[in-house]
Amino acid sequence: MLAIFKRETRSYFTSMIGYVVIAVILAFIGLYYSANCLIYGTSDFSIVLYSTTLVMLFVLPALSMRSFADERRNKTDQLLLTSPVTIPQIVWGKYLAQLVVFAVPMVVACIMPLILKAFGTVSLTSAYATLFAYFLLGASCIAVGTFISVLTENQIIAYLATFGVLLVAYLMESVQSLFTSGNTLAFIVFCIVLAVAAVLIGLVCKSVTIGSGIFCGGAVVLILLFQLRPAWLLTAFNRALDALALFNPFETFVGGMFSLSTIVYYVSVIGLFLFLTGQALERRRWN
Amino acid sequence: MIQVSHLTKRYGSHVAVDDISFTVDDGCIYGLLGPNGAGKSTTMNVITGYLSPTSGTVTINGHDIQEEPQAAKACIGYLPELPPLYTDMTVREYLNFVAELKGVKKKADREADVAKASARAGLQEMQTRLIRNLSKGYRQRVGVAAALLGNPDIIILDEPTVGLDPAQMIEIRALIHDLGKTHTVILSSHILSEVQTVCDRVLIISGGKLAAQGTPEELAARLAAKGVISATAQGSRENVLKAAGSVPGLTDIRVTAEKGDEVSFTASSTEGNNLRAALSAALAAAGCPVLSLSSQNLSLEDVFLQLTENDSPAQEEAQQEQVPEQTTESAAKDASETDLPSQQETPAEESAPDEKEGN
Repeated sequence: MLAIFKRETRSYFTSMIGYVVIAVILAFIGLYYSANCLIYGTSDFSIVLYSTTLVMLFVLPALSMRSFADERRNKTDQLLLTSPVTIPQIVWGKYLAQLVVFAVPMVVACIMPLILKAFGTVSLTSAYATLFAYFLLGASCIAVGTFISVLTENQIIAYLATFGVLLVAYLMESVQSLFTSGNTLAFIVFCIVLAVAAVLIGLVCKSVTIGSGIFCGGAVVLILLFQLRPAWLLTAFNRALDALALFNPFETFVGGMFSLSTIVYYVSVIGLFLFLTGQALERRRWN
Repeated sequence: MIQVSHLTKRYGSHVAVDDISFTVDDGCIYGLLGPNGAGKSTTMNVITGYLSPTSGTVTINGHDIQEEPQAAKACIGYLPELPPLYTDMTVREYLNFVAELKGVKKKADREADVAKASARAGLQEMQTRLIRNLSKGYRQRVGVAAALLGNPDIIILDEPTVGLDPAQMIEIRALIHDLGKTHTVILSSHILSEVQTVCDRVLIISGGKLAAQGTPEELAARLAAKGVISATAQGSRENVLKAAGSVPGLTDIRVTAEKGDEVSFTASSTEGNNLRAALSAALAAAGCPVLSLSSQNLSLEDVFLQLTENDSPAQEEAQQEQVPEQTTESAAKDASETDLPSQQETPAEESAPDEKEGN
């Protein structure tokens, strides 16, 4: 794992991509820091970070797009997969290298609250806690991007798909507000999700019986729920949409709260997507 | 030692490798021979753990590649068809990376290992060059050097000489020959002469199936056992054919040339070369003096063509007619090499276009 980690990290810094990502993130954080904290005089550093989450959408997919897509295109994955390393080691090696690149602007940003501290009263705890959550949010975005990168061998597609997914996650709050209109909608959406899942499972198992069985069973449960406990469906629907809103939990930190559930949420997202990455890599060996 | 048993690999409905079983013993150079798309690379990819088999098992030095992948992979150095190189690294950086990846922990060990592998592959001069700027031949060598790192028992090379110039080919072959003294080597190739000169044993793969295995000599001898006799006798066509037909075990008699009262013909014998004596006696008894008589030793090329042309059922019928003609061609080749009577070259020229059509 160490070998892969070292190689990947070095590769980000021998090509332009590492420097560009660091420069863009720092430029935006610096811009908002100057405007809000230095010129306007706010002592709240977290507002700077909150304003720059949008930058992640554009920059982090550029970091993650090449991680696996490039390996596959150049067939260098053949070297990794035939070497005596396990798949989790490959995934972690690559992921940690991306985190190192992303951590560089974070480390630089650590100086910013200290500068404010020299001139006034600043809650360093709050500032660093927010920075930590900001880092976790970025790490989650990178995990999502790494997973998408393993699905394709084209870096551009990996970038665009990651950007699209992150954009949906970013806009999820406003999307959600469109869907509060009723239980019927929740029922329909759940039915569609069920149908898609049933078709996918049927395809994977190569069995029409299993696919239609799952669909029929699920449909019966949904209809019963819809008739007996319609409110449950709506709540579950909103919960599901909540879980997809990757950027929302970060806001509790911006509000000055240290939220354990936010940290658990981001760590779970990272764990889930890295696990899926490993599974996708493993699955490719079977096709 | 590698044991492959009942290995099958399907891509969707396409069967790339179909129930192949073989054993690779220590200290030999094995050649995996087959036409393009025969399943050589797939077989190698499964052995090295890059792909998973649809069914069947691969055991490397007692470690199952599915059950204990790390232990099994540690025994193998693999050079895929396209060397997996990171073009943004220098040769030294890359080899160091691979050595570390293969579990050479200490820095000093790693440097020694890299130096040794570089020396063997002839890369000392190229250590600080970016891989991106290397020629195809040198990239291939970097791949070979990478396969040697970590001192694996088994080295697997997928078409190691493809795209190299003749001088480089000879160098790589010499290197492989050299490696064979200390390692077990498996190489795949569709170049017959390469396999014939380098390998101790040959596995011929055709259409995903193992068509034959053995030493190059054994394989040639196997087909020579039902080999072809070519002869020239003096006499009328009818008399010669009648006399030849009277020899039991001699089938498929074909006249290849007639010049004056000399008749040249080929015949397939089912009992090896012993029939030459019987044929000679029969011709003499019929009053047709034998002018020349020889049995054809098939080269690996003939074996290969005969074995791999059974690929598709549609070709099989054409194949049966073709076989004698091919051997005629090889007869002509041998004839020109051994200064046999020149009449034999004429039919070869006739049969060559036929063969092309058949293919």
